[in-house]
Amino acid sequence: MNIVGESWVTTKFENLEDWAQRNSFWPFPFGTACCAIEFMSTLSSHYDVARFGSEVVRFSPRQSDVLLVAGTINDKMAPVLKKIYDQMADPKWVISMGACACSGGFYRAYHVMQGIDEIIPVDVYVPGCPPTPEGLMYGILQLKERVTRDRKKHRVQAGLRAEEQSGKTEEAVDRVDDRVTAPA
Amino acid sequence: MSTIASPPRPETGELAVLAKFPAGSITPQEGLDQPTWIVRREILAELARELRDNPATRFDLMLDLGGVDFPDRTPRFDAVYHLYSIPRAARLRLKVPVDDTDPLPSLIPVWKACNWFERELYDMFGLTIEGHPNMRRILCHEGFEGHALRKDYDAARRWILTEDKIYQPHFDLPNDEDDLFERMTVNIGPSHPAMHGTFRLMAVLDGETIVASDVEIGYLHRCFEKMSETHNWQQVIPYTDRLNYCSSFINNVGYCRTVEQLLGVEVPPKAVWARTILSEFSRIMDHCVCNGTTMVDSGGLTNFWYMFQPREEIYGLLESCCGARLTVSYGRIGGLAQDLPPDFMERCRHLLAIIPPFVDDVERLVEKNRIWIDRSVGVAAISGEEAVNWGWTGPCLRASGVPYDVRRAHPYDLYDTVDWDVPVLYGGDVYDRFRIRMLEIRESLKIIRQLLDRGIPEGGHITSDPHVALPPKEACYNQMEAMIYHFKLIMDGIQVPEGECYSMVEGANGELGFYAISDGSSKPYRLKCRPPCFPIFSTFSRLIQGGSLSDAIVSLGGLNVIAGELER
Amino acid sequence: MSALPSSTGGAAPFDSTRIEQDEGFRRRPNAADAGKWQGLANHPKVTRPYRPRVAERLYLPLVGGLLVTLRHFVRNLFGKLPTIQYPEERRNYSHRFRGHHILTTRPDGSVRCVACYLCAQACPAECIHIEAAEHPDVNIEKYPVVYEIDMLRCIFCGYCVDACPEEAIIMSNNYDMAYFHRDQTIAGKAELMKPFTFDENLLGYRPRYPEEDAKRAKMRREAFNLVEAARQAKAKEEAARAAAV
Repeated sequence: MNIVGESWVTTKFENLEDWAQRNSFWPFPFGTACCAIEFMSTLSSHYDVARFGSEVVRFSPRQSDVLLVAGTINDKMAPVLKKIYDQMADPKWVISMGACACSGGFYRAYHVMQGIDEIIPVDVYVPGCPPTPEGLMYGILQLKERVTRDRKKHRVQAGLRAEEQSGKTEEAVDRVDDRVTAPA
Repeated sequence: MSTIASPPRPETGELAVLAKFPAGSITPQEGLDQPTWIVRREILAELARELRDNPATRFDLMLDLGGVDFPDRTPRFDAVYHLYSIPRAARLRLKVPVDDTDPLPSLIPVWKACNWFERELYDMFGLTIEGHPNMRRILCHEGFEGHALRKDYDAARRWILTEDKIYQPHFDLPNDEDDLFERMTVNIGPSHPAMHGTFRLMAVLDGETIVASDVEIGYLHRCFEKMSETHNWQQVIPYTDRLNYCSSFINNVGYCRTVEQLLGVEVPPKAVWARTILSEFSRIMDHCVCNGTTMVDSGGLTNFWYMFQPREEIYGLLESCCGARLTVSYGRIGGLAQDLPPDFMERCRHLLAIIPPFVDDVERLVEKNRIWIDRSVGVAAISGEEAVNWGWTGPCLRASGVPYDVRRAHPYDLYDTVDWDVPVLYGGDVYDRFRIRMLEIRESLKIIRQLLDRGIPEGGHITSDPHVALPPKEACYNQMEAMIYHFKLIMDGIQVPEGECYSMVEGANGELGFYAISDGSSKPYRLKCRPPCFPIFSTFSRLIQGGSLSDAIVSLGGLNVIAGELER
Repeated sequence: MSALPSSTGGAAPFDSTRIEQDEGFRRRPNAADAGKWQGLANHPKVTRPYRPRVAERLYLPLVGGLLVTLRHFVRNLFGKLPTIQYPEERRNYSHRFRGHHILTTRPDGSVRCVACYLCAQACPAECIHIEAAEHPDVNIEKYPVVYEIDMLRCIFCGYCVDACPEEAIIMSNNYDMAYFHRDQTIAGKAELMKPFTFDENLLGYRPRYPEEDAKRAKMRREAFNLVEAARQAKAKEEAARAAAV
């Protein structure tokens, strides 16, 4: 047992927790436009995102952990998006799917938000218009990798000693500030 | 099955109406694609009533109302009405020149379809409409200042919507203090699974019954019409894809047909053939989504999986043609973007074999299923005349007994050369809207089969006019002339001669029209899209009134409102 | 089609109860309706609104439905699932697929693009940024010093490929793109040139395809062999030099 109470058992338990967390994403499909149709294709039997643990997509921000923004978000929808994001409980991640959600796409217009990262922090950007279901699944796999890093980062931030992946941790620490100071 | 009776000569009826109004108040405009009258706003209300009620004209369908801004002219704006007479298959366009301070009369008493169109006119142009019961912005948010489609409005100028400006409904209902149960206002959406992402329904519930409701849209307003003014004619095609994104190729075709009519360009037979086939596949795709999501909303999730499989297969076909599954951008002005792939026929035949079993399975699961029957028969029923007055077109209208289909009434492409029926049902309820889409899928398969049996026509996939279409790459790499045409087309764009045109196709939801005005340059001066689901959705709060909340959810699914098209 | 009662104008709150109860809603259609649209339709019979039959009232057709789902279940259990097991399996998209862009190279490895700005002009999303410079070879004249595509703005429409007169920009069939940070999302010249290959299987949307142009395909194969041979020779030379050191 070291000074912060960590032992082999608790580390392994945390690894188990990480594994469970990243293999059971509960996406909140904030689908507005064409990307939502591609997301529906991802859900359906041809691609089946349930293989990655997202068996259930329900529109409940209290219970979901990945906010999957699929489609154009415009200035009228922005307060709604912010509210949903705020209602989600930590830990939460955001996947921005499609050109419109990432950056406004080709709608450089008076009513379209130029990317959802104007109001919420984004973890994975998936480009495409719309991204193919495989592209979205690639984004989800990238997020899985990110989730593992984040959990470890949080422990570092809480004062635990660095783990053997110290290289990743270094750059992770830089990103920690973004995560912590992001509006809750 | 349905044949339109030969209409009387259009001029007779209209001339009779013209004679009833004082000279100089209506000026017919010659030489356009459809009869156009320039009307003074003072007589607009009586003229509208006359046009609708006079048995010689019978303009019962108000298709579209849009505005045009001519900043250098007084009066500055034109309010353009597109009217249609279903029994006579006649069209009429009314242009009413107004300034923003001149009040236009609201034509809701004549055509209820005008409700939301007039709100849009106010939102986009700032025109004053007199007599509208609910005049407020419809597409832009409440914190928006200015009127977006005016020529002096900068396309990128945004406004932030703060929490305090969000629209809160106010319902004037009779007092219910002596009632035992309290009424509750429930906000459904815009982020709600049954609201298909972007509609907000504010319903006053008395128990489970909806006493009153209001609908707010605009959560996907992506400024298509402004973007089409800042991009050239060819660049608008990807924007049209994203209108009705469930059947994007049909939007391409609709838009390209409008511009082709303005240009006077002929589309080669192979492109026409392929456009018809791919439009029908897109229609099948859209109906699959609509019926699948309606069933999801009612709890029959299995049908969603089954209906998405044909969609995936059709994606394979579209992807082999142009490289993209959903937002294809396969149409070009003058034809298609690229030639058909060599395995086009095999892929289409394969699809014809694969799709019917899925459709059969869903029918077997649903159509005689008492659960579905109980939920949908008689729900949100609307009669034919009412639907026409509200501006409905498409499968929803045909489910109410009115056999208006653009492909039959005004045939384009190859629809009049194949043998197919227009399915019509008379219940007007959710059950019939579901069933009619299944019937239409079968009719589409019939059309495709007949076209495939003819074989691929000879020729090119796009017009060879070098002022309209990019020359083939071989020529571009090797010949100076082709290189110059290529360069000019990309740098300057297609120069469309001055004029205006309203052209329509049968979208999956109804009559999808594009009204394009060209000022002779490479960018559209004004491009108005007539979204088929806009008037349909404007009826929604009346449709669900008195029904239960679950009826409302199911009926929304059946209307197939696609937000991209609704709000452009 | 009766008139609405007059309303109070723009500022009044919306009042749905003041729209009169039209009998147009919720009215059961009847035989008289067929006559209204005579001349438009020649329906031989009037379809009454759907009346469920006895069997349907007794939920009997549900058995048929259950048999349908059972059939699908058995077929999937003992047969082949329609699911594509990504990432182990990938869908065979056609070779017209509009994926990640590629800047093609000349046989000597330099970029083929001549910075004519046609792609930047054609792009509806204005996501291509080019800065041109003079090329030492007088026949080539220009080349792009900076060629960037903002992958988050790109709508993958392929207009740039259509516009290019040099076949300098094409698309691959790669759709695996996901980024963590905004600064990774601008694809520069190096990133765009990297995936270029003469291997047809990795390419997507481009002006000419093997089936249309067998001669071109043959030329590409020969060019591929040449480039491969040159690369191997270079690698051998490097290895020899490293061994000598």
